[in-house]
Amino acid sequence: MTYEDRLEGFNEHIASGGKVETNDWMPDDYRLGVLKFVEMHANSEIMGAIPEREQIPHAPSLKRKMSLTAKVQDEVGHAQLLYRVAEDLGKSRDAMFSDLVNGRSKFHNVFHYPTRHWGDVAIIGWLIDGAALVTQAALLDSSYAPYSRVLKRICAEEQLHLRHGEDISLELASGTDNQRWMFQEALNRWWLPIIHFFGPRSHPDKDLLLRWKVKTRLNEDLRQEFLDRYVPKVLELGFTFPDPVPYAEGEHWLIRDGDIDWEPLEAVKRNQGPETQRRLGLRKDVFDSHRWVREALAEPAVHAA
Amino acid sequence: MSAALLGIVTALGDDELVVGHRHSEWTGFAPHIEEDVAFSSIAQDEIGHASAYYALAAKLTDDGADRLALGRDKDEYRHAILCERPNGDWAFTLARHWLYDHADALRLEAMEETSEAELRGIVAKIRREERYHLLHADIWMQRIAHGPVEGRRNLMDAVGRAFDDALGLFEPFEHEAEAVAEGILPVGSDGLRKRFLDQTSAELDRLGFPTHMISTADTEFVASSSGDLLVEEEAGDAVEHQGGLGGRSGRHSDDWSPLWDDMTKTYRENPGARW
Amino acid sequence: MDTYEVFRRTGHKEPFTHCGAVTASDPGMALLLAKECFLRRREGEHLWVARRSDVHSFGDESLLQIGTDKTYRYPEGYRDVVAKRERARARAAEVAAS
Repeated sequence: MTYEDRLEGFNEHIASGGKVETNDWMPDDYRLGVLKFVEMHANSEIMGAIPEREQIPHAPSLKRKMSLTAKVQDEVGHAQLLYRVAEDLGKSRDAMFSDLVNGRSKFHNVFHYPTRHWGDVAIIGWLIDGAALVTQAALLDSSYAPYSRVLKRICAEEQLHLRHGEDISLELASGTDNQRWMFQEALNRWWLPIIHFFGPRSHPDKDLLLRWKVKTRLNEDLRQEFLDRYVPKVLELGFTFPDPVPYAEGEHWLIRDGDIDWEPLEAVKRNQGPETQRRLGLRKDVFDSHRWVREALAEPAVHAA
Repeated sequence: MSAALLGIVTALGDDELVVGHRHSEWTGFAPHIEEDVAFSSIAQDEIGHASAYYALAAKLTDDGADRLALGRDKDEYRHAILCERPNGDWAFTLARHWLYDHADALRLEAMEETSEAELRGIVAKIRREERYHLLHADIWMQRIAHGPVEGRRNLMDAVGRAFDDALGLFEPFEHEAEAVAEGILPVGSDGLRKRFLDQTSAELDRLGFPTHMISTADTEFVASSSGDLLVEEEAGDAVEHQGGLGGRSGRHSDDWSPLWDDMTKTYRENPGARW
Repeated sequence: MDTYEVFRRTGHKEPFTHCGAVTASDPGMALLLAKECFLRRREGEHLWVARRSDVHSFGDESLLQIGTDKTYRYPEGYRDVVAKRERARARAAEVAAS
């Protein structure tokens, strides 16, 4: 069987809804495309832990101190699950970490921004996790089966995070003037990055991941789902949106393409977001200075007591 | 309501809260990703233990657990200095974790016999989780101690640095004499400290670590004219020995102030708020 | 360092199920890590870990396919029981009449 024959068979398999497992034959473009996609997802989970853990020390109650730690723990757990999927596609964990901390690979835009106070915890926990849930639910039907399997657990935990985030947000919304200010001020800073999170319009003809059904939905559809679900919830609490301001049209909440400033996303893509270098630097310092731990774990016991 | 009981329970809560706070700082940064998840659970456990102690203290004084945890002034906390030390690197964190959880296991074991029924209940629950903490600490210590020389040396240095501070966990509590008399503390701090020294020196010996690091730390506690138990410093070692002590009477190191500020500022800036 | 596959069981009705994998230095460490990675919500009351290298599979899983008729292994292979009962009763009636 020639490569072309196998490729044709593979394309038909995918087109008819077939799934792919780790040891199945797959074209190199598929393998590399999935690996890069899953690696970026894993990177995003581990880098996503950083902004949130910045607020753990400031948690304003014992219960929130534990629940926020648990939430960030879940994100690290997601990274662990996703790195495993990527490792099984042929790239070592150390290589992925090294690429990440040395700026050679990417992670989602939202994790390049600073957190300032408890309001950020509310916005991240509710709206950013809400956005992530929309995109991740769409991946549950991914053609790459090991990825869709871990996504099942990831989505279930994100649902919990969403409740947690909404819980925190509702307390702020019902609270003192200062608490309401915390939510609004954080929303003012996070809204544009959240819109960027969904990316620009998809190009299905050019997007291999869409063609091979690793991704199953278009960016603009996912963004629309998010806007319709969350904009009314925020407005009913009496908060306002900064640019790009959503407006109602029929049953939907829309934003004008002209109102979106794409420049900050371009900076993030170059790993030049406001917090990118500092956070990667921190991660790199810990990674580099703890090689002795990895070595101790990797070596068989050398010194019996 | 016994001032002695309140003092003990608050100090225990403070130990757990502050060490849990430090442990939680590793979330997202631990040197092995599965361990990141595991250690985060340990952090959450410690904060949960603190919550249980504070809930009891709050009940005794009609106060709130969160107010006790996050609303007191800097000099009102009674945790041992070991707990407030910065994480440093994984070696120090591991050393502190090992020392702290061994000490905690000993005092919890003794407190199973406390005369205070509610405290007995809390201790029983906490002990169940502490078994995992001890297993975790022991396995990691063994793995690093029996591993390549760089890790072994890092860990040995860290244990040496942390050990003096660890003895601060056995500095007498305020009102310790009453607590022992009332049966709240079935075994006094001095007795527990001896058990701790015996146990840890045996363990470190088994790991092949030099025990000279702990033999200089054998201080005697003597009664002062005020009735409090003070440390009698050994000449020449005074400065080092003082390093880990003072926490039980609210005298903390320079590491405490920034930690207290970080930990309490959102709470203090929004008095009476719901979260 | 090895990859350890993780299995958990809960209650008395169902056997162990596979739930994921951890990377660890030895079985003791693997159990410790698996507990928090896969059982921190009490998803299992029992925990097993096994080195991935001890898990085996057929290289060619088409070996697992069923070729010829094996309906006799399934309840569906016995759907004609109603008709058969009728026949048996009829024959019994025949015997009784003679």
